[in-house]
Amino acid sequence: MHGRPRKPEKPENAAASAAKAEKLRLLQSQFLSNHHNRIYTKEALEANAKLLEINPEYYTAWNYRKLAVQHYVAEAGSDPQAIKSVYDEELRVVEAALRQNFKSYGAWHHRKWVLSMGHSSLDQELRLLDKLQQLDSRNFHAWNYRRFLAELLNRSVEDELMHTEDMIGINFSNYSAWHNRSMLLCKQLKENDTGLTSKDVLSNEYELVQNAIFTDPDDQSELIISRKQCQGKCPLYEYRGLNIDLKEFPVVLYFNQAVSGVRSSTVTVKSFNVTWKPLSPSNSLASEIWVAYLNLAGEECHFEGPITVEFCIGQSQGILSSSGSPYGKPLRVAFTVTKEPIRVQDVEGHNPEMVSWEDPNFCADEVDSGVLNSDVSFIKERKENKESTISEWQKDTISKEIAGFRDLLSIKDYKIGKLTLARLLMADDALSFPYGNRSVHSAEVLELLKDLTKSDPTHSRYYEEHISLVLLQQLTSSEEMLRRHLFYFKGANTSSFHKPLCLRLNNLSLSRLGLFNKLLGVQMLDLSNNELQSIEGLEAMQLLSCLNLSKNKLGSFTALEPLRHLKSLKVLNISDNEIGSHSIDTRRYLFSSPLSHNEAVVWDPDVVPSDAASPTNYWEAFMLFKSLKLTQLDTIGNAVDDGRFRSFLVKIMPSLLFLDGQKLV
Amino acid sequence: MTSEGLTVTQRDQLMVEQEVGKIYALFSELPPSSKSILLELQRDEHQEYLKRGLSILPPSFASLDANRPWLCYWILHSLALLDGYIEPEMEDAVVDFLSHCQDPGGGYGGGPGQMPHLATTYAAVNSLITLGGSRSLSSIDRGALYTFFRKMKQPIGGYRMHDGGEVDTRACYTAISVASILNLLDDELVKDVGSYILSCQTYEGGIAGEPGSEAHGGYTFCGLATMILIGEVDRLDLPRLVDWLVFRQGVECGFQGRTNKLVDGCYSFWQGGTLTLMESLHQLFHGDGLSDSSQSDASELSGDEGHATHDHSCSSHGPENTMASINLRDTSYNFIHGRRKGGPLFDSLALQQYILLCSQLRDGGLRDKPGKNRDFYHTCYCLSGLSASQYSSSKDLESAPLPQAVLGPYSNLTEPVHPLHNVLLSKYHDARDYFALG
Repeated sequence: MHGRPRKPEKPENAAASAAKAEKLRLLQSQFLSNHHNRIYTKEALEANAKLLEINPEYYTAWNYRKLAVQHYVAEAGSDPQAIKSVYDEELRVVEAALRQNFKSYGAWHHRKWVLSMGHSSLDQELRLLDKLQQLDSRNFHAWNYRRFLAELLNRSVEDELMHTEDMIGINFSNYSAWHNRSMLLCKQLKENDTGLTSKDVLSNEYELVQNAIFTDPDDQSELIISRKQCQGKCPLYEYRGLNIDLKEFPVVLYFNQAVSGVRSSTVTVKSFNVTWKPLSPSNSLASEIWVAYLNLAGEECHFEGPITVEFCIGQSQGILSSSGSPYGKPLRVAFTVTKEPIRVQDVEGHNPEMVSWEDPNFCADEVDSGVLNSDVSFIKERKENKESTISEWQKDTISKEIAGFRDLLSIKDYKIGKLTLARLLMADDALSFPYGNRSVHSAEVLELLKDLTKSDPTHSRYYEEHISLVLLQQLTSSEEMLRRHLFYFKGANTSSFHKPLCLRLNNLSLSRLGLFNKLLGVQMLDLSNNELQSIEGLEAMQLLSCLNLSKNKLGSFTALEPLRHLKSLKVLNISDNEIGSHSIDTRRYLFSSPLSHNEAVVWDPDVVPSDAASPTNYWEAFMLFKSLKLTQLDTIGNAVDDGRFRSFLVKIMPSLLFLDGQKLV
Repeated sequence: MTSEGLTVTQRDQLMVEQEVGKIYALFSELPPSSKSILLELQRDEHQEYLKRGLSILPPSFASLDANRPWLCYWILHSLALLDGYIEPEMEDAVVDFLSHCQDPGGGYGGGPGQMPHLATTYAAVNSLITLGGSRSLSSIDRGALYTFFRKMKQPIGGYRMHDGGEVDTRACYTAISVASILNLLDDELVKDVGSYILSCQTYEGGIAGEPGSEAHGGYTFCGLATMILIGEVDRLDLPRLVDWLVFRQGVECGFQGRTNKLVDGCYSFWQGGTLTLMESLHQLFHGDGLSDSSQSDASELSGDEGHATHDHSCSSHGPENTMASINLRDTSYNFIHGRRKGGPLFDSLALQQYILLCSQLRDGGLRDKPGKNRDFYHTCYCLSGLSASQYSSSKDLESAPLPQAVLGPYSNLTEPVHPLHNVLLSKYHDARDYFALG
C-alpha cells in the first residue's frame, strides 16, 4: 500500500514528462490489446518489457508475461537450452524493473515465480541478490526473497548466519539483519542437527549482542533480541481443596494461553454434570480462563462431609491453543470440598449486618498459613519438569546481561537501557521462580519504572500499568508479603463461623489489575483509593462476596461488567468514582434496547423517571445489576447519583438491604 | 560517541534529528501568536493541491499506472478529512472512472482493462463509500465481488492479491475490510485468516507482511484491523504488540515503520492508528459493550434484524447465516461503540506537532519528513494520522474531542474516521445502512 513517492512536476520537465506519458500510453494500449487477444509475439513481449521497465507495479503485465512464458515453454518442447533462455529473459526483465523500483511487489513476485520453475542458476541469483542488498540493506522484499532463495538452495543456517554477520558488520543498526538472525537461530535450534546445544548457539548470540550494545547503547536493534531470549512459559494453574458454604462451587481453570474446546467431554469431572464457560470478555470462544459450577446442593452431593472432586483435563482431544496445537498430556486433578453446615444468619429472612469499610474494622492479627492457603491462594501449581528447561547457563547469561546493563547505566543514563534492565530483572525472577512464588528484584524494577515515568512522560501510562502489575506480583509473591495486606474483618457479625479475611490492596495507585490466578480464593477485597479505570480480569475471582472499589476512576457502569460473572457478590462499594460524568454513546443500544423483546430481560420502563437526565445510565445500571443479588450497595459520590437514581436501584434490586449507608425498609 | 564510529543508519538518524530539532527549536522561540499560525492546518492549500490531483484523474487521461483507484482514495479521503467540497460533476466522473476499473468477474483493477486486485478493490470501494450516495454505492457489484474474494481466498490461510499474485497481510486486510463494510463477511471468507495473521506476528510483537518477515507498521495495522474485524483479536499477543508499538514513536515525535528506521509521516496513521485501535481494545477487554452476556443479547437481536433484511444475492454464495456470521456482520460496528478510558497510549500532541510542523507544507500537501516532496499517499496518511491522534483521547469516537486534545487552533479538528476501514465515520454509517438493506 505504501505508494512510491511521486516526484513533483518541475516546469522544465513538463515537456519531457508529457512525452514520456505519451510513450507510456502507447505501450499500455498496445499491451492491453495484446493481452486481451492473447498475442505473444517477440514484438509484443518487447513492448511489454518496456512497459514494465518504466512501471514495474503494472501487475497485469507481469501476469501476461507468465502466460507468454507458458506459451514459449510449450513451444520449446524438450529442449532444455531453449527453456532456460525463456526463463533467463524473464530474470533480465525483472532485474531491469527492480532497478527502476526496488520495492515493486509485482517484480519480486514474478522473480520468485521464475525461480520456482527450476530452470535458473540459483548461485548466480544469490550473487545478484547480495549486490542488490548492498544497495538497500533494509528492503524487506529483498530479505523475504533471500529467505525464499536460501530455502530453495538448501543453504545451511551457518552460511546464512555468516551473511547476516557480514551485514551487521557493515551496519550494526541494520535491524533486518538482526531479525533474520533470530529466524535462523530458531531454525537452527529446531533442527538441531549441528550437534550444537541451544546453550552454544545462544551464548554466541549473547556475545554478539553484548558487543553491539556496548558499541551503541541507544540502538534499538539488539535489545529486542535479548528480550526474546528470556521469555519463559507459565505453568498451568489449578485449584486445591477448600472450605466453603456455597451451593454452587466454581472451579476455575487457568491456562497459560487462550484455548478453545473446553467442554464436558474434554475436561471431565467425576460424578458431576458440568458446563464449562469461557471467562472471556471478547466474543471469541477461546479464553485463558474457564469456569464451571459444581452443584453441591444437587443429588450428587446428598451426603455431608468432604466431597472429593476429581477431574481430568485433556483426556479426549479437542482443547486447542490459538495456534491450533492440541493440549499436551492429559492431567488428572483431585481436591476436596467440605460443605459447611448452613449458618443461621444466612438463612433468608435473617438480615445480615451492614459492612463498613472503615479502617478500624480491620485488624492485622497474625494470619496462619493454613488459612492463608485455603482462603487466599489455594493454588497448587503443577510440578512440571521445569528444571530441565531452565539451565544454569540461561540464568547465568541473564545475570551477566543484568550486570552489563548496570555497568552501562552507571556510565550513561538512557531509557531503553533502563527498560531493558527492568525486563531482564523480571525475566530473572520468572526464570528463578517459575511459579511466581518469589520475586527478588521487584523493588529495583519498580524504581526503574518510576524513574522512566518521570524521564519519559510520553509513555507514562505504559509504565504505570507495568508498575501496577509488578507491584501485584511483588505482593502476591510470598506469604510474608501477602500477610501484610491481609486483615481480619471484625465490622460485621463476628460470631460467624470464622472471621472474614479481607485482602486490602487500597492506596497503592494501581492503574491496572492482574495476577488474579494467585488470588482466586479471596472473598473480601478492598481496592479503594487506586487509579483504576477498569477491573478487567476480576471476573476470575469467583468467590468474591464483598468488594470495595470506592475512590477510583471508574467511568461508567459498563466498566463494571466483569462483576456480572461474580455470582457470589453481595456487598459492593463503588462510591466516589466518575460514573455518569462522561457522555455515553447511545448508538450501542440499537441492538440491546430496553424496549426490545428479550426474555432474559424483564424491563419495566416505568422504573426510569420520565425526565431522567441520562436514561442510558439507568439502562447500563440495569444491565449490570439485574444479574447480581446484592444486599449492600454504595454509589454515593458519582455524577449519576441522585435521589431518583437511588429509588430506581431499590426497585430493580429487591435483594438490597442497605443502600448508601442506610438500611432500607 | 564520536562521529566516525557511526553506522549509516545512525548518521541518517542524526541528520533527521538535527533537521527536525532545528524546526522545533525555531518554533519554540516564536511568540505565541506566530506559533499558533505555524500550527494551523492549511486547509485551503491542501484542498487546492488535492483537487488539482483529482482533476487529472478521470478516464480522459488514459490510465498510466496500476494504482489509479489508490490515487482516487488518497485524494478523496484527504478531502473528506478536511470536510472539503467536491463538485457533483467530479463525483460523477470518479464513479464512472471506477466503474471502468471494475472487472465483470468482480473486484477492481488498477485501471481500466487491468485484472482485479484486492488492494485496488479496497481503494475503489473506500473511494465510492467516501463519495457516498446511491449512484456511487450502487455501482459496486457485490455479488461478483464476493465471487472474486472466494477466488482469492487460499484454502488454508490468507488471501492472494490477484490471480497469480502474492499472499500477504495486506491482501487479508483489504479483502476483509471491504467484505465487512459491504456486509459480505461470512465464515468462508474468514476461515483460517486468523491463523495466517497469527503466523505473521514476530517476536518483537509487531506484525509482518508474511510469515518469517520483519515486523512493519503498515502490516501491523492491516493485521490487527483484520483480527478485530474477524473477531479473533485475542489470539494475538497483544501486550507484546503494545511493547513494540509504543517505542516506534521517536524523539522526532513522529513514528517509524520498523525498528531502527527513520521517522515517516505516513506511519502517523499506520502506527498511530494502530495504537488508537489498541486503546479501544483495551476497553473491549474490560468487557465494555462486547462482553458475553450483552453480546448474546445484541447478536440475538441483530440476528432478527439480519434475517429480516437478509441480502439474498449474497446468501446464495455464502453459507447459511449462522451465529458466527451474524457476529461477523457486527464486529466493525460494535468496535466503534466501545468507549475508551484513560489517556492515549502514545503522545498524541507530539505526533500532531510532527505532522503540522514537519510533514505539512505551507502551500499544500503533506510529506514523509523535512527534505522530502509531498505526494497524495503521504497527504492521505498524515491527515488520517492527524485525525486519529486528535480523537485518541475522546471517550468515544463520535463526540468531539476537548480543545486541549487538538494541537493548534481548534479549527484544526478533522472529521472523525472509522479506525478499522479508514473512511469517514459518517460515510461508514451511510454505507452500513445502505448495504444492510441490500
